[in-house]
Amino acid sequence: MLLSVMGIDVAYGHAQVLSDVNLTVGVNETICIVGRNGAGKTTLLRTIAGFLAPKKGYVVFNDHNVQGQSPENMANLGVRYVYQDKRVFTKLTVKENIQLAAFPTNATDHEAIDTVVNIYPKISRFMDKKAGGLSGGQRQLLLLGRALIGSPKLLLVDEPTEGLAAGTIDEVCGVLESMKGKLSCIIVEQNLAVIARLADRVYAMRDGRIVSEVAERSQIEDRAQLESYL
Amino acid sequence: MLPPSHWSDTLRKYDLIIIAAIFLASIPVLSIQRTTDFIIFCVFVLGYDLLYGYMGRLSFGHMLYLGVGAYATALASEYLTHNPFLILIIAIAAGMLVGVILGPIIVRTTGACFALINLAFNQVGFFLVVTGFSHYTGGEDGLSAYFSKIGPINFGSKITVYVFSLLCLLATVFLVRRLTSSPFGILLRTIKENETRAKFLGYNTFRYKWAAFIISAGISALAGFLNILNYTYVTPSFMDPGRNVEVIFASLIGGAGNVYGAVVGGVSYMLISNYLPRYIQRWEMFLGIALLILVFRFRMGIWGYVTGLLVPTKREIAND
Repeated sequence: MLLSVMGIDVAYGHAQVLSDVNLTVGVNETICIVGRNGAGKTTLLRTIAGFLAPKKGYVVFNDHNVQGQSPENMANLGVRYVYQDKRVFTKLTVKENIQLAAFPTNATDHEAIDTVVNIYPKISRFMDKKAGGLSGGQRQLLLLGRALIGSPKLLLVDEPTEGLAAGTIDEVCGVLESMKGKLSCIIVEQNLAVIARLADRVYAMRDGRIVSEVAERSQIEDRAQLESYL
Repeated sequence: MLPPSHWSDTLRKYDLIIIAAIFLASIPVLSIQRTTDFIIFCVFVLGYDLLYGYMGRLSFGHMLYLGVGAYATALASEYLTHNPFLILIIAIAAGMLVGVILGPIIVRTTGACFALINLAFNQVGFFLVVTGFSHYTGGEDGLSAYFSKIGPINFGSKITVYVFSLLCLLATVFLVRRLTSSPFGILLRTIKENETRAKFLGYNTFRYKWAAFIISAGISALAGFLNILNYTYVTPSFMDPGRNVEVIFASLIGGAGNVYGAVVGGVSYMLISNYLPRYIQRWEMFLGIALLILVFRFRMGIWGYVTGLLVPTKREIAND
C-alpha cells in the first residue's frame, strides 16, 4: 500500500469532523471519495496533506508514519494537493506558477513547462500572461499540470470538475484518466459519470465516517447505488 | 505604440543608466547634498519594499534597521576604525544581525501583529539609544563620525559621498531586481498572495521570510550608513519611530512591489517633503490628502498607474 489511513479522528476545536476513518490507496490506484457536503471529504484530504493533525490514529505513507508532518514535508515526500477552489497564484504569470512548482523538486524549468504543456498544450500561448486572467478550466488544468511536476507519488484532487463546463469536464477527466496506472490518486468528486470513468475503488463518506467501500466495477458504474450517498 | 513587453525589456536593460542619469541631472536643480539625500532615501525605500511590496508584510518599525546602521557607523568610527569601507561592512552586518535575531520572532506574525511588533522593537531601540546606552550613543545629542581618506577617496568631499551613494543605490537596484526576479522573489510574491499554498508546493516559507527580512534589514542599515556618510553625525532622529510613516508613504506613492516604484516613490516623497513646506506651512496635511487619493484612486501608486496604462486589459488578453 502506498497510503494507509488508520482510525483517524479529526476535530476543529470541539467539533468532531472525522471519526475513525480508515482508508487505503495502492500504488498507481485511483480512489474516489463521494459524500454529501459536510461529510468530511475535504477534511480527510487536508489531513493526509498535512494541514490538519489527527487527534487519534495514524497516516502511513510509503511505509512511514507521516502523522504531524508539515504540508511542505508532505509535498517533498511526493504528495500533491489540488485545491477545490481552482485558485492559482493570480499575480504571477503562468510560467512563474509552473516554475514555482519546479524549484523544490529536481525538475528543471524546461521539464516543468513540458509536463504542463503535455497535458494542456494550449497553455503555451499564455505563458507570459498573469494566471489571474485564465478561465476556471484553464486554471484547473494548470493546477493539475503543476501538481504533476517532479514525479509525485500521490495526487489529492478536491472536486476537480466542480463549476466547469461540460467540454472542460471532459478535458479535465481526460487528464486524470491519462494518469491512471502512473501514480496514485485520491479524488473527491460528486459527479457520478466522472467517478465511473476514473475510479478503481470508491469510498462513501457520511457524517465524518467511511460508510461504504465499493470495489466492484459494476457497482462503481451503478449510479443509483452511489447516488444514495449524495 | 511599442508593446508593453518591449517597454519593460528596454527599461530593464538600461534602468541603471537611466537612474544614474536622472540623479546626475538633478544636481543643478536640487544641490549635491540634497540629491544625495534623495538617493539615500531611495535605498531605504528599496529595502523596505522588499518586505512590504514583495512579501506583503507592512512594518511600522523599519527605522530601527536604518538606525542600527547609522549608530553602528558612528560607534565603529568612534571606537573601532575610521576606514569607511570597514565601517560600511560593520554597519550592514549590524543591521543584518538585528534581522537575524529579531527575524524568527517577527516573521512568524502577519498583518497588524507584524506591523506592531516591528514598531515595538523600534521603540525599544529608540529608548536604548536615547537613554539605555546614552553613555555610548550620546543620548539626545548623538555622536559625530569621522572617516579617513583611503587613497584618493575622500568622504569629506560631498562629490565623493554623492558618487558613492549613487553607486550604492545602483547596486541595490541591481540586487533587488535580481532577487525579485529569481525563484526567491517569485516565492516572496507567492507568500504575499497565499502562504499556505506556497507551503504545499514544498517550501519552508519561514526560512524564506526570514532571509528576506535579513536582506531588508541589511539594505536599510546601508541607508543608515550612507546618511552618516552624508551628515557625519548621528542623532536619535535616525531611529525615531515617528518617521516610519515616511518610508511607508514613499513605498505607497511610488507603487509597492516594484523596484522602479520604490525609486519613484522615494524621489516623490523627498520632493514633497523638501519643497512643499516652502509654500504650505502645515504640509503634512497634504500628505494625508495625497494618501487618501492614493488609496481610493491610485492603489498601485505612480509607477503602477503608468505601467497599468501600458498593460493590456483582461478583454484584450481574451481576444488575443
